[in-house]
Amino acid sequence: MTEEVQLSLRAYAKILSHAVQNPYTAVNGVLLSPEDEDKERLDVVDVVPLFHYNTSLSPMLTVALTQIEEYATNRSLRIAGYYHGNEHHDDNEVGFVAARIADKIVENCETGCLLIINNTLLNHLATELPFRVFHPIRSTDRIDWKEGDKPRLQFGERGLARGPEIMKTHLYRSLVDMDHHYDNVRCSWDNGALNEAVKLFSESLPVSQEE
Amino acid sequence: MLRDPETVHPVNENKTWPDIRDTLREWRKDHVRCSERIVELGEYALTHYSSNLGNEKWAVYEQLCVAALDLCPSKMQVVNRCIQKLAEQFPSSLRVSMLEGLRLEYLKKWEEALEMYNSMIEYEPTFPAPYKRKVAIFKAQGKIADAVSELNTFLDTFSCEHESWLELADLYIGQQSYKQALFCVEELLLQYPHNHLYHQRYADILHTLGGKENLEASCKYYCKAAELNPSNVRALYGVLMSSSALASIGKVSAKVKSDHQTLAAWAADMIEEHYKAERVDKSVMLETVSVLDKLSPK
Repeated sequence: MTEEVQLSLRAYAKILSHAVQNPYTAVNGVLLSPEDEDKERLDVVDVVPLFHYNTSLSPMLTVALTQIEEYATNRSLRIAGYYHGNEHHDDNEVGFVAARIADKIVENCETGCLLIINNTLLNHLATELPFRVFHPIRSTDRIDWKEGDKPRLQFGERGLARGPEIMKTHLYRSLVDMDHHYDNVRCSWDNGALNEAVKLFSESLPVSQEE
Repeated sequence: MLRDPETVHPVNENKTWPDIRDTLREWRKDHVRCSERIVELGEYALTHYSSNLGNEKWAVYEQLCVAALDLCPSKMQVVNRCIQKLAEQFPSSLRVSMLEGLRLEYLKKWEEALEMYNSMIEYEPTFPAPYKRKVAIFKAQGKIADAVSELNTFLDTFSCEHESWLELADLYIGQQSYKQALFCVEELLLQYPHNHLYHQRYADILHTLGGKENLEASCKYYCKAAELNPSNVRALYGVLMSSSALASIGKVSAKVKSDHQTLAAWAADMIEEHYKAERVDKSVMLETVSVLDKLSPK
């Protein structure tokens, strides 16, 4: 079972932006990793933010997952997990809805994980990642989610400093999720502009310090 | 309220006075909870355009106060200043007391806030706001069963409060009590039979419940939503999903299967037309066509 999870700066920026852009509702999304995966480590290179409303009703979830599978296949990526931020500030547990959606998402992949946004750590972005990671323990008729180590972040501490920067520059305001897309299909959920901004962050970090 | 994402720039950049006033009005009318934006624009308007606002400034103070509470602790001074100004202008006002109650809630002084709301209800039982805040306090404390019970009691008397029916539906959905959620949306459909969003919501819950009868009903409600608003992409996808599922669920006659397939094909065409009309990128268009094919019945 894969225990180590690494988050790219791009993935971190998008999950954080999704949570902060929608502080009053639950948020969720899908984790993407390269198709030819490293079995020792789950490399989350990108995410697709799903919803900030109707996070638990099924029809649009099925449509969105089909769209994301198509998108991922065309870019040599695969769906590798699910992230969820609960509505309530003090609720940082794996709820029923998060577990059932995560079950569905990982049932067809060998390695995958469930990332829960730890809302209480959103005030401590400079010092630690606001996530809890859970790995699937599969038995014949169910999946249980067991907590693992926190994910590593691309660029380590220097990457962590980008969290407060995203807050200060209000970069999170421009994030597009699938709810925005279904409201207005011209909004593109691959978030090209945000990807570029994060690329500029990473290019300002010395390559030799990448961890 | 569902809206497009915004730019990162300050909201008052290059805005003229009428734009600023109209934006704040629109957000008040639609109860938009974009608190950061409201604080930016509200503070700017009250600083630079106080005399232009005239009596409208009191509504802006109230709007700014509620938004600033969402940004506390950094905006606590703004909250206190707004409450002070409003209390001076409107002594003994229930609306100002509501703001004081919200401030107590932010400080997690639940008992004091509940006491304040209960005394407001005793003084003026027809004012709906304090009842709703009691529900919000239960939600904030994680006492969802109490929130549901309180909201049900409130709706027994105030059955026209559509925002509350929506909130109750959301609470039930969060508990996977879909049948109770359906009942709430039925109340909304009775009051607003031409609202495409309520038809679509009802269909979403039916589809989530699943089973042949619920899928048939969800298909009808999705069709109604699409009829009321042909740009409701979720409704169109809903027609596609439900008719595709019905074309293959259980034993269906060739005629029924053919009808469902025709409906699914219609929905897929409508979605494709919608994406074309909105001039999405070519790559998005190609991926969408492929996805529609995957979601269609075989």
